Amino acid sequence: MTWDPRSKAAIAGVGTSQFARDTGLTTTQMISNALRAALDDSGLAIGDIDGLYVNAGGDFDKMAEQLGMKVGYAMQFWTHGRMCAPTLQQAALSVAAGLATHIACVYSIDISERGGGFGGGRSHGHEEYREGGGTHGEMAHYGLTHPGSGAAMAWQKYRHRYGATQEQLGAVATTTREHASLNPLALMQHTYTLEDYLASRFVIEPLRLLDCAVVNDGAVCVIVTTAERARDLRKKPVYIAGMDGLHAGRDEFVFAPPGLGIWQQPESSVAARPSRVYERAGVARADIDGFYCLDSFSPLVIFALEEFGFCKPGEAAPWVAEGNTRLGGKLPVNTNGGHLSEGMLGGWAHQVEIVRQLRGECGRRQITDARVLQFAMGQGVSNIYSNEKL
Amino acid sequence: MSQERPLPVITEQNRGYWAAAARQELVMPHCTQCDKVFFPIAPVCPFCFAADPDWKKVSGRGRVSSFVIFQQAFFAFFKNRLPYAVVQVELDEGPRINANLFDLKPEEIRIGLPVEVTFEKVNDEITLPQFRPLVRGT
Ligand SMILES: [Zn+2]
Repeated sequence: MTWDPRSKAAIAGVGTSQFARDTGLTTTQMISNALRAALDDSGLAIGDIDGLYVNAGGDFDKMAEQLGMKVGYAMQFWTHGRMCAPTLQQAALSVAAGLATHIACVYSIDISERGGGFGGGRSHGHEEYREGGGTHGEMAHYGLTHPGSGAAMAWQKYRHRYGATQEQLGAVATTTREHASLNPLALMQHTYTLEDYLASRFVIEPLRLLDCAVVNDGAVCVIVTTAERARDLRKKPVYIAGMDGLHAGRDEFVFAPPGLGIWQQPESSVAARPSRVYERAGVARADIDGFYCLDSFSPLVIFALEEFGFCKPGEAAPWVAEGNTRLGGKLPVNTNGGHLSEGMLGGWAHQVEIVRQLRGECGRRQITDARVLQFAMGQGVSNIYSNEKL
Repeated sequence: MSQERPLPVITEQNRGYWAAAARQELVMPHCTQCDKVFFPIAPVCPFCFAADPDWKKVSGRGRVSSFVIFQQAFFAFFKNRLPYAVVQVELDEGPRINANLFDLKPEEIRIGLPVEVTFEKVNDEITLPQFRPLVRGT
């Protein structure tokens, strides 16, 4: 019998900096604000933090030095949102193995410094020049200069294959902004009608401006500890119940479900690759009370619902348009407003929302009796959280 | 924003590809063990891990497997090209590559459109493989 990581670790506290188009702050300043908020949330002091896992926002050593931390277990992850869930998974495994007791996981983004967006700014998007293209499928010499182009390419193929409509895609954009309007932390507070959506300009056709995430500055801190320790802290523990890892290889494309046939993906009509996350968390898919997914571009929500088996291939677009992902619907999705409207924080603000939902702190946007919530991204990576030890 | 055209960086790994393009030939990395062609350019065959792939000239024909139309320029160079299309082409030999599509209005592009390679010379070193609709009978 192998060792089972189920519910061995928990989230002790979460905190954020202010999210704004341009905070004028450095990433380390923003991280210090998020860390302070997470410490307050957990009841821990800076001296209790003995692990520092950095997803983005600076170098771990300089950060620890500047923040007066004394950590015995530090890690530095790649600065992409796809490393959000893996960072938390490694933190969970590390505390469960006794390598550290309270790990601060941090993420900060400073897009204003980068020139207002990806693909050419004050410091131009060097990822476009990588051998074989950038990490979102960019290829600058052909003018494929923006991460959204990968999602646009995938949505074009998807709607051709399944006959999905722009109105159905618009339902992701309008639903997410409806949720954001109930979240005081969200950058975009106003709601849009489907008519507003259809009138919004194309950026990378078939994606419109309202299909794209807001670009902003901000930071998030999530403190991970053991399940036992979490019970002695200020707030009700949120257990990391189950995990599945980030998949990579020629079957995977960052912004397309497996089998769609984008970039070198083999094209197939096979249903979503079965996820091991439910079995590992000890739940059924039907137990999921809310779903959180990376939504830097609105098609990603549709793709994630299919990749994780909530809908069959081709069926998620109409399902979203029917209102199933709204608060009060069958499966509320991104109740925080997601990257599309709360702010682009590499999936980390989604973790904050999950924790607050499972503690019942979400006021008007609270999912009634939320018990089990899932975070998922493309490429198969997912964490399942619960306020009960599953 | 820089006015310069962003260009690929030539490396030991991709030199053969760009040298062929400068001769107006489209080549793919080719595995000398399992005989497959593949993309992107890699140090080994992604299907059998054999080392030292060579280059194989391909037909340059294929079909548009997906495409996008940029309506906003993120690099200044592309501003006067707006709106411009980037197509993903599935070559008859299998691999998919990205390029621009010439000689067709963006609004007339469809998935499945048969295309053939054409070449855009940028400078002495770089010639970009591009595509245009396949002219029947040629
Ligand atoms: Zn081979």
